Amino acid sequence: MATVTATAPDTRTFAGTAWSWITTVDHKRIAVLYLVTSLAFFMLGGLEALLMRLQLATPEADVVSAERFTELFTMHGTTMVFLALMPLSAAFFNLLVPLMIGARDVAFPRLNALSYWIYLFGGIFMNISFVAGGAPNAGWFGYAPLTDTAFEATHAIDFWAFGLQILGVSSILASINFIVTIINMRAPGMTLNRMPMFVWMSMITAFLIIFAFPAITIGLVLLIFDRYIETSFFIPEGGGDPVLWQHLFWVFGHPEVYILILPAMGIVSEILPTYSRKPLFGYAVVAYSGAAIALVGFGVWTHHMFTVGLGPIADTAFAISTMAIAVPTGVKIFNWIATLYGGSISFKSPMLFAVGMVSMFIIGGLSGVMLGSPPIDAQVQDTYFVVAHLHYVLFGGTVFGLFGGIYHWFPKFTGRFMHDGWGKVHWLLMLIGFNLTFLPQHMLGIDGMPRRVHTYAADMGFDLWNMMSTVGSLMIGFSFLIFIINALRSIRHGEPSGSDPWDGGTLEWTIPSPPPVYNFAHIPIVDSRYPAWDIKRGGGHTGAVATAPEADAEADEPDIHMPNPSYWPIVMAAGMVLAACGLIFHQAFILLGAVLFAISLIGWIEEPAG
Amino acid sequence: MHKAPRSVTRADRDECRPIQGRRSTPLTRNRRIYAALLVPALALAVAACGVTPQTTLEPTTEAARTARDLLMFVFWAMVVTFVLVEGALLYCLIRFRRRSGDGIPAQTHGNTPLEIGWTIAPAILVVVIVVLTVPAIFSNARAASPDALQVRAIGHQWWFEFQYPEIGVVTANELHLPVGRDVEIQLESNDVLHSFWVPSLRGKLDMVPGRDNKFTIKPEVTGTFPGQCAEFCGTAHALMKFYVVVETQAEFTAWAETQRAERVPPASDLARQGEETLTLGGCVACHTIRGTDSAGILGPDLTHIGGRQHIAAGLLENTPENMRAWLSDPQGVKPGNTMVIPELTTEQLDALVAYMQGLK
Repeated sequence: MATVTATAPDTRTFAGTAWSWITTVDHKRIAVLYLVTSLAFFMLGGLEALLMRLQLATPEADVVSAERFTELFTMHGTTMVFLALMPLSAAFFNLLVPLMIGARDVAFPRLNALSYWIYLFGGIFMNISFVAGGAPNAGWFGYAPLTDTAFEATHAIDFWAFGLQILGVSSILASINFIVTIINMRAPGMTLNRMPMFVWMSMITAFLIIFAFPAITIGLVLLIFDRYIETSFFIPEGGGDPVLWQHLFWVFGHPEVYILILPAMGIVSEILPTYSRKPLFGYAVVAYSGAAIALVGFGVWTHHMFTVGLGPIADTAFAISTMAIAVPTGVKIFNWIATLYGGSISFKSPMLFAVGMVSMFIIGGLSGVMLGSPPIDAQVQDTYFVVAHLHYVLFGGTVFGLFGGIYHWFPKFTGRFMHDGWGKVHWLLMLIGFNLTFLPQHMLGIDGMPRRVHTYAADMGFDLWNMMSTVGSLMIGFSFLIFIINALRSIRHGEPSGSDPWDGGTLEWTIPSPPPVYNFAHIPIVDSRYPAWDIKRGGGHTGAVATAPEADAEADEPDIHMPNPSYWPIVMAAGMVLAACGLIFHQAFILLGAVLFAISLIGWIEEPAG
Repeated sequence: MHKAPRSVTRADRDECRPIQGRRSTPLTRNRRIYAALLVPALALAVAACGVTPQTTLEPTTEAARTARDLLMFVFWAMVVTFVLVEGALLYCLIRFRRRSGDGIPAQTHGNTPLEIGWTIAPAILVVVIVVLTVPAIFSNARAASPDALQVRAIGHQWWFEFQYPEIGVVTANELHLPVGRDVEIQLESNDVLHSFWVPSLRGKLDMVPGRDNKFTIKPEVTGTFPGQCAEFCGTAHALMKFYVVVETQAEFTAWAETQRAERVPPASDLARQGEETLTLGGCVACHTIRGTDSAGILGPDLTHIGGRQHIAAGLLENTPENMRAWLSDPQGVKPGNTMVIPELTTEQLDALVAYMQGLK
């Protein structure tokens, strides 16, 4: 059995430091890996967006070619959804879930590392396509039959299909890990009813991933069959149906929207109470409405398909279910506002981002109700109105929420504050830039500009709105630079924050920043939803964080047993991705990948877990 | 919200003229306010309708009006909701901002009646929207009358083919329809997904290979209305446009008569030379020109190309210069398109342009 001190690699050398990161199974370090990687991909997806905006700034522009434009919007969507926002949420799951539930790590630390490495290699794999014969170019939802070999003979679509399969494995493994962690590893006394709201939303998100990803997995398998062994699941000439792809994609794709927004909702549900010094209003209702959104979210997918021609009965049924989902969403917003009511609100940068999330998400939700009505949708579907709507949800909602989370928990990661003034500048520029970018796109859609067009004619009346939109997008890009510089500077030179800079209520604020490898020297006993507040404020819940007797005994020992570092996760992930390369570059990679996978599997099993 | 169908003409834009000269009429206070609101609104409408030909806000059919009315109703309902909710948010942020000397505020955890209330409120709103939506869904899906004009619209990468099986007309990228009569349009695709969308006529419906989608349009106003493919269909998706020309029954009949006829024989030596270039070159492999040996089916029927208002799937106005530009560099004008044109001499180009311009 290894201990923390005995197995830690020598971090005084660069090689030792690198090796310690490669072999780490510590959820906090994996969180950092997720955070840095997802921000890098976020920047890449943002650059793709900026190129598109430059092309569309003026009519009939020639900044990028039509072919390149199709790659840009496909990879922008794919990157932002699968490589930036989901993994950014995963960074928060990793950092916060064990800390918030009073655990020392996740249930399966090596599996956690495996999820990360698969994600990293999968993301690189997909982006290699840009220099290996052409990037995916059929849109992020890759509608059949445009994805068939008859219309895309190069490997562009294969990179996309295998890439998504690989990333799906990563997401499903991570979800299983977090569900098991949340259900089994909560500190004594932390009933489901006392779990922090972020943990609730993480658990719901993990369940959503587990139930939603199989649909796209099956769709992608069928697509790969269609492309590689000439089946015709989606090809009408062979008796297939392109609409089948749409069903499979959106049965996954709509829950995916909630996979992207629920973690941000969880973050906001932590930030608002902290900076208002009041518990979350209607805790149970906020939790249940999250679950309700997740459940109903599986029953609304054909609202993405109102223009396919499924008939008035189907359109009516899905219009009703879509409208229904507005109710739990609205309830969440009202509860957040009620949390602020009567509070003592401090406007630090995390709070500004959280408030920005709430107010921008409202707009996305309201335009969603408009789209939920099929006769309206028939006009604005596949136009810039939809682009505006989805960005109000995923940028106004998710990105604002997640950035709020970064500012809020940065001190916990690093022990230092991010500069609050520059944080506010970032927020203001991003808020203005975001609205300047996407508000005019509603008008563009209503005035008849389809999405996914690489150009538009000068006489269509789209010029002004597009120019505004491009100016706004440049502001967003600029604000992100401010954020990056602020973050990099603050890691070393930020003001020291201490362990509890915001007067937090949840368990992570009761331990030092950055937290020790073992998180909690003593496993706490929890008897309320905001145990840290109880300690600080005394009152009815004195002694909320006590020490469990068995944990006490453990802590008396000089070392707390932690899992060993392991290199098998990275080897196994490399094996998987190499095997996928084999189906694109040369078959020999399949063999190589399979051998690596097998070796790592055996090594993994034989390895003492610590 | 459902306004009685008014008879709309394209000349409706005249409404948009600022009302001048009425000042001399004595106005009551109410009418004065009404006018004060109306003038900027109309000015905005002028700005909107003058410059955005493809807008959804200028419906010219029952179906498009239904969608527009619903859009406006839901839009204003959402605006009211937005103002109330964001107002509440801002109120809380301002009213309860931290002041020096603030202690720990009262720790409220919830309020069941309140929470039930704000569960019911959005529920009522969406029920209202559903109640208005459902009849619109069914009225938009209504079947065509038995005497409806039948049209097959077929999507190709990246152009639209229009067939009128009953009257034996085949054309491309310019759909002619008689005013005041039901038209049943059957939507098909030859390759990938496309979508048929003419915002002023009705909402879009996808063209799905292997599926028979159809919808009914009853044009009420004569004029030319722009449309565009609205489902991503590959490289030149942005350049896959078309026009709908709504005309009187007499004009339509005359047009159909012309379209049914074989091509107009070339009228000049230059044009004759053009026909030769075209039929002896590779063009016949893909294009049909009835009355010549040209009978390909992969590209648009060119029998009456000279009579169309646009070429290259609604992309360019049909002028000799544009025709020449298109023939000189089809991939440059429309990236990704598969038209293969051999190297042409200037004389050959002149001849081709002259010939095709003559194919009225």
